[in-house]
Amino acid sequence: MTRPRLIAAVTVAALAAAVTLLGGAFRGASSPGALAAVPGTRLLEPGAGSTDTAALVAGLQQRLQADPYDAQGYALLGLAYQQRARETGDPSWYPRSGRALRRALRLAPGNAAATGGLGSLALARHRFREALQLGRRSLRLSPASARVYGVIGDAELELGRYDDAFRAFDTMARLKPSVGAYARISYARELRGRPHDAIVAMQLALEAAADQPEATAWTRVQLGKVYWSIGHVGDAAGQYRAALATLPGYPFALAALGQVEAARGRLARAIALERQAIDAMPLPQFVSELGDLYRAAGQPAQAKRQYALMAVIQRLLAANGVRTDLEGALFEADHRAHGREVVALARRARAARPSIDGDDTLAWALARAGRCSDALPYSRQALRLGTLDALKLFHRGMIERCLGDMLTGNAYLRRALSLNEHFSTRWAPVARKALR
Amino acid sequence: MTAVLPRRRTAAIALALLGVGVALLVLRFGPSPSPAKAASHREAPLIANDPPADITDFYMFRSTEAGHAKTVDLIMNVIPFEEPSGGPNYYNFDPSVAYTFHIDNDKDGRADDVAFEFRFKNEIRGAVNALGLPLAYVGGVPPADGSVIPPITALNSPGLGLRQKYTITMIKDGHRTVVSPLTEKITVPSNVGPRTMPDYDALAAHGMYNLGNGVRVFTGQRDDPFFIDLGAAFDTLNLRSPATDMLSGFNVNTIALEVPVSMLTRDRHGPAETTQPWLGAYASTSRPKVTVDGVGRGSKMVQVQRLANPLVNELIIGTKDKDRWNTLAPQQESAFLDYYENPRLALAMSLVFGAAVPATPRHDLAGALLKYGSTDPGYSELLRLNVTSAPGAAWPNGRKPSDDVTDTALQVVGGPSFAGVGDGVSANDKVLPGVFPFLASPWDGRNRVHANP
Repeated sequence: MTRPRLIAAVTVAALAAAVTLLGGAFRGASSPGALAAVPGTRLLEPGAGSTDTAALVAGLQQRLQADPYDAQGYALLGLAYQQRARETGDPSWYPRSGRALRRALRLAPGNAAATGGLGSLALARHRFREALQLGRRSLRLSPASARVYGVIGDAELELGRYDDAFRAFDTMARLKPSVGAYARISYARELRGRPHDAIVAMQLALEAAADQPEATAWTRVQLGKVYWSIGHVGDAAGQYRAALATLPGYPFALAALGQVEAARGRLARAIALERQAIDAMPLPQFVSELGDLYRAAGQPAQAKRQYALMAVIQRLLAANGVRTDLEGALFEADHRAHGREVVALARRARAARPSIDGDDTLAWALARAGRCSDALPYSRQALRLGTLDALKLFHRGMIERCLGDMLTGNAYLRRALSLNEHFSTRWAPVARKALR
Repeated sequence: MTAVLPRRRTAAIALALLGVGVALLVLRFGPSPSPAKAASHREAPLIANDPPADITDFYMFRSTEAGHAKTVDLIMNVIPFEEPSGGPNYYNFDPSVAYTFHIDNDKDGRADDVAFEFRFKNEIRGAVNALGLPLAYVGGVPPADGSVIPPITALNSPGLGLRQKYTITMIKDGHRTVVSPLTEKITVPSNVGPRTMPDYDALAAHGMYNLGNGVRVFTGQRDDPFFIDLGAAFDTLNLRSPATDMLSGFNVNTIALEVPVSMLTRDRHGPAETTQPWLGAYASTSRPKVTVDGVGRGSKMVQVQRLANPLVNELIIGTKDKDRWNTLAPQQESAFLDYYENPRLALAMSLVFGAAVPATPRHDLAGALLKYGSTDPGYSELLRLNVTSAPGAAWPNGRKPSDDVTDTALQVVGGPSFAGVGDGVSANDKVLPGVFPFLASPWDGRNRVHANP
């Protein structure tokens, strides 16, 4: 990347940083179902007809110019703005969405669409307690709406209330089986450590996506990530390629395919794909992964540049109301490991988001700061659902080894590698080396 | 200050119309590959897009075709707003969806006496499969390296790369009988264009099957027979004449089944002899029921959508209750009675036109749509047909594709002040054929137009 090009990319990042798939993707390749769990993606159902949202926005704006008292118009505009964020990765659509939705509610207090829209906006911004409250409020307004159960379940999931979340997903799937419902059931099954049942549910989601390009591409990437999580690299690659055939240039498929290329030892190909993804949508998880790929390819200067870009993106997200503490803490723990500061960040993040991801990030931050006995209980918590997540198992293995229990530690490392020997560009080689 | 009042009034009207307009838009014209045309995206985010399970219309009528007077036709259309050029996969039924016609023949409001269930299966085959082409259909390819792919003229042409076969199961009093096994019947593919499919009507004719015993079946693409001036309706019911059929140039996927009346009636008699002439029916789509703790895809199904009378889902049931309404059976309609007694469409019409509408609570709508007669003990939302009525009867005595249900609905909901009102579109843009499957050939992908009327 030439210098002006890099600057241009930073500028684009400034305008268009992450979000929609951010929660999951931030968690990285090792959390394969993560995208399915990502609140932001649910806002607007995958494939909510994103092909011409810009035209929809323009139409709604025109309609509202003619009638500035049109509450439903503002509610729909607010939702359309969220879809724009999903399509472009530009978080500045979120404040706009919030303004439109609040205006709708001022005009028509109790408007169900606007209340639900604020709920999904809160999810996209990783404000899960707020999302849960809004979800419950919209449930009172619209007690039999499948979507509302999606918002509530997503929030509960990120707050670590798994039984409640899974009940909400069951209700959603019973009220209205759809791409969104099946994808959530799939993710829940994955969290429970049942990847094969997760695959079946995601295949149902794929059928329900019915050739709608974005929904199909999105679902194929999710399915590929479940395959990837259990080391079925060929099946994963097949899904990513099929996603690209459906939606050429789909950045999530490009980035995922980059991981496959890296797993096959083709780092140059992997870097090219990751860069292609970033050119289309400079999401933080892509940038972080590109940094790791450069590092693995022996180009530390390039890696550093990508890591520096991360800070810019985080600030942009924060400026648009998106909380990225958890993702930020994991990134910092992975890439800087400066003790106290990172631990404090991870603690704050876990308080806001007491999920297994919160537990795992805090455990890892503590371990990287050398506080392995403090880390162990959090790592136990992180694995309490029996999730087959190689990165979390790797973290546990390193913590056990750090505490001197090499036998247990190595067993965890072997489990991580046996799930997927390429679970992380950064950490899989470390696990292999430790076992030698 | 004076300016505020009219604005407020506009807002009130807009509010009243919201439920109506948006619901109509989303439910009937939900997802679309042509967003500029289908305003569906407005609310699609709140309602999962599921076009292959999205029933646009359901019809039940006595055949008007010569020699078929003793039969009834059941038609369900799915996949709203098919843009004819929507390649490369075009439009298909969903293998994980069960498409079912349900019939009540003993007037108890439960459509559990006879049912016909359609299930589809995909097959990737022929030249497309052999050559790994990224297209569902190819044909008329000029000679290249010695190989030629001929145009698609039959349902076994090599260019027909994605082919759907289907099975029909009849469920009568709980007993399942396979009417047509999976290996035999083939769905007619979407109309791609004249090079690939030079004689589409001849090709489609191969997909019209006579199963014997008076049973005929067709599945495949057709022109969307519904007609409405939706643009005018959304412009605060700014109706006009002549009007514009907003569905001009769009297709749907059709399941059409013609069976002898005697196969459906309680006493197994035809229209001349039966003493139990009333049929109540609806169409449904269902998807597999899964739970977090369940294993695999399970064997139970969840009803995703049901459709009996036109415009009930769109105009009567409130948005917040639609998901639940769709999962319930028609005989559970009393839970939604308030919507029939206080119809929002009537409110909108009275606001817009300033004309009187019948006072609420209204009992006429529930009486007309939810009962066979005033003595029915319960309410059940079924499309009802008296099979002894002459062929050609119009909705709400059965429903034919040519019935102008929008006008009927506006007149019925609006009451006497609205007699003669209509949306100005009174017929489909393509002429509806008088023979099975009674729907016009679909627009082709290459030469499609969305012209009017």
